[in-house]
Amino acid sequence: MYRISENLALIQTVDFFTPIVDDPYRFGQIAAANALSDVYAMGGTPKTAMNLVAFPASTMDLSILRKIIEGGADKLQEAEVVLIGGHTIEDKEIKYGLSVTGVVHPDRVLAKKNLRPGDRLILTKPIGTGVINTAVKADMVSAHLAEEVSLLMAALNRDGARIMADFDVSACTDVTGFGLLGHLAEMVSGSGCSARINSARVPVIPGAEEFAAMGLIPAGAYNNWEFRKQMVIFDQAVPRMVKDLLFDPQTSGGLLISVCDSHCQDLAAALKGGGVASADVIGEIVDNRQEIISVV
Amino acid sequence: MKEIDGRGLACPAPVLQTREALQDGSPNEVRVVVDNPSAQQNVLRFLESQGFQVVLERVGNDYGVIGRRGAGSSVTPVSVAEPLATDGKIMVMCTTDRIGSGDDVLGSKLMVSFMHTLKEMGAALWRIVLVNNGVKLTVDGSEVLEELKRYEAAGCKILVCGTCLNHFDILDQKRVGETTNMLDIVCTMQLADKVITL
Repeated sequence: MYRISENLALIQTVDFFTPIVDDPYRFGQIAAANALSDVYAMGGTPKTAMNLVAFPASTMDLSILRKIIEGGADKLQEAEVVLIGGHTIEDKEIKYGLSVTGVVHPDRVLAKKNLRPGDRLILTKPIGTGVINTAVKADMVSAHLAEEVSLLMAALNRDGARIMADFDVSACTDVTGFGLLGHLAEMVSGSGCSARINSARVPVIPGAEEFAAMGLIPAGAYNNWEFRKQMVIFDQAVPRMVKDLLFDPQTSGGLLISVCDSHCQDLAAALKGGGVASADVIGEIVDNRQEIISVV
Repeated sequence: MKEIDGRGLACPAPVLQTREALQDGSPNEVRVVVDNPSAQQNVLRFLESQGFQVVLERVGNDYGVIGRRGAGSSVTPVSVAEPLATDGKIMVMCTTDRIGSGDDVLGSKLMVSFMHTLKEMGAALWRIVLVNNGVKLTVDGSEVLEELKRYEAAGCKILVCGTCLNHFDILDQKRVGETTNMLDIVCTMQLADKVITL
């Protein structure tokens, strides 16, 4: 973030990755939604974007590249963001993403670690995209579920961000590659607070539990768990597949919002009423300086 | 025993390969070798979901998973998650990093000897719970760290008190076991057939 004047600050983010779905147009949409999320999570409004593209032009049909960029451009249009340029290089593997610039009032920036004891945690999208995408690679997911999950990944976090701006929100982050608990650990670490998660309340994509129980889990989930295992204490009753899902790396996941207890139910209701149907209260911030996450 | 070589394959391929092998003749025993710990964990989960009892092993630089069909199998099932304890489940609750009071140097030596000899309990050794000074046995420099890692690898769960680790400010130095809480410890006591406290 960069403060330009007393009432204007710039937010700049960048994110890109390799294809996670087969359809190039949808991949472009997902990459754009994912790149925009950072700005939304910080309480900002994205304004402009630039494409970052790596493409094997010598071996692959250029129409694929066109569809990817078209998907990204359409998503930007939906978000009312202007595409002002970009850069493409030749590479063996396709990569696409965007650098996004947004604006925010300097007093309204949402930090990750500004947690307050007593706050409640709300998550706006169900988890499990990593497991589902692994099951897709294993050819075990119905076309219907695969489509549903790719739409979920392509969904902007704009509505969630717009709605939370009217409530007493202390901190927010978007859930991506580190998984739900990995990103919560980022918020908790250095905050002087701890968090408690009610795993039964965490929204999960239908079918993801079954695939997780079968071992269709991306390696990233294990790495995420390994990285944060000192901070996370699981109750014995939490099933292994749920633990796996809580660390499952997400693509273009939801917002994880820390909101004042007295605003919590109203925010949850406003989100549900405002098109963020999966939003749910999944835990709370507790007054414990050990900076741990307990999961029941 | 059916042997499956899943080395050089990225997830989810080793799970699919194992699945195919099970569909082909439904063997009672399988051994899957993979080249990374994530694939090993995934194959473990898959085999358990198919009703196998599973043990994990290290094979040089590779990772093995041995699965045996539970019910109706002539082989004694062994599981990492829940070792089959023929003579009851023993929980060892260790509240200290030394055995006895008197001479501290002697007490430390006795602890090394105790942890080394504990394996004589065999499969009945079910949980080792470390609280208070006991949690210091799990950090770098502990003389029984390797011993504890061996118990863990063999399927004995090691539970380490999180409050105690925090109290001594060594949470990030713990090298073995799962960080736990009092509720876990009390549940473990309740489920154990025998609790031995040091």
